[in-house]
Amino acid sequence: MQRLLAFLEHNLYLILFVLLQAVCAFLIFNLNPYQQASFTHAATSVTARVNQTTSNVTNYIGLKDQNEHLQNQVAEIFLSSPNSVLTYLNDTIDVQDSFTRSMYSMVPAQVLYNTVHKANNVFVINKGKKHGIHKNMGVVSSQGVAGIVLKSSNEYSTVMSMLNTNMKVIPTINGSEFFTELIWDNEQPYSLKIKGINNLEEIEIGDLVATGNSSLLFPSGIPIGRISKLETKPNSQYFNTEIVTSTNFRTMEYVFVIINHKANEIGNLIEDVE
Amino acid sequence: MLNHLDFSTYLLPQVFIILLISLPLHVSKINQILIAFGLGLLADLFASTPGFHASACLWLILLRMWILGRIDLKEQQANHLQFNIKNISAGTFFYVTSILVLFYHLYLFSLGSIGAIDGYRLIITTMLSSALALLIIVLIQYITLRKLGE
Repeated sequence: MQRLLAFLEHNLYLILFVLLQAVCAFLIFNLNPYQQASFTHAATSVTARVNQTTSNVTNYIGLKDQNEHLQNQVAEIFLSSPNSVLTYLNDTIDVQDSFTRSMYSMVPAQVLYNTVHKANNVFVINKGKKHGIHKNMGVVSSQGVAGIVLKSSNEYSTVMSMLNTNMKVIPTINGSEFFTELIWDNEQPYSLKIKGINNLEEIEIGDLVATGNSSLLFPSGIPIGRISKLETKPNSQYFNTEIVTSTNFRTMEYVFVIINHKANEIGNLIEDVE
Repeated sequence: MLNHLDFSTYLLPQVFIILLISLPLHVSKINQILIAFGLGLLADLFASTPGFHASACLWLILLRMWILGRIDLKEQQANHLQFNIKNISAGTFFYVTSILVLFYHLYLFSLGSIGAIDGYRLIITTMLSSALALLIIVLIQYITLRKLGE
């Protein structure tokens, strides 16, 4: 402390010098219009740069919140707007009435873990029972069908990816339903197969493969992929059809879990009939 | 007074700083700072340049302290003598005064041209004004010396 006091005493004239220079700077930049304008201009440039940098940093930090906000908005658009940019739900919404609009709701989720190179690929999302998610609910990405919920804990859920040998979806091609299953045989990544389509059917490479009405997990019309290969083997009356998935599972980060509020009711009715 | 002599736009000698340069050598550093600030403010008052001369005078006195701290002037300090040609050798006086005058003019004109610095004009004005100021200061010193001698 004594050293500090001695130092201050020894350099008091310097402190006084700095203080008086500050007074001078105040006088120069406040009482001289030209210098004031120059100072204001320089100060504005500096503060603008600082503000820009601060804004960039805060924007980056706020990206997570913005992502969640956007996901919620997309989920709302999915279910409410017939002119949605995600047009693949348009058919469902246009055709169905106000009753069926409330049939589905969507929960946005983030993919926390994802596999694409195994025989039975799964991914984990950050939403679970607490958010109304249970086993056997459909999961879509912004590009198309992504999978089906296998298991849910309170906070998380495991989803069976389309790239899973146990995954079976009944597809429609160009709006027509074919009562055959779309499967992944673990031979080629991102390439699904449909067997049992008669080679007399009018389908071509590039045709859209989507979900149909026979599933309670997905609204109809959600893209699964497009036909990439169409072969007919000799002495066979069926096409050997390959489909490239719409969803890019390698880069998939955000998904939506589809909750069908009428699934149990409709399921019970179907069971009664069967 | 000399500010009003329209020698040219390149000649603005600041002669009053001789009052600071020739301050007695025993004056404390704090007092030197306060005197410099006061004199600068007075000059600003007359020249209508709030803060310019005050700031320049503060730097001048700090530079003077630094330069004189490197010259052996213990005897002059002990005898409470002024920093002038009579008490210091003419060479040392001229050398120190030249640096201080040159610095003062450069700093003052730089402040005045903030936002639109014209390097060529700044150097010319500084050199010409400093030379004239130095000439006048030396003349004043010799005239004063002669009067004291009589």
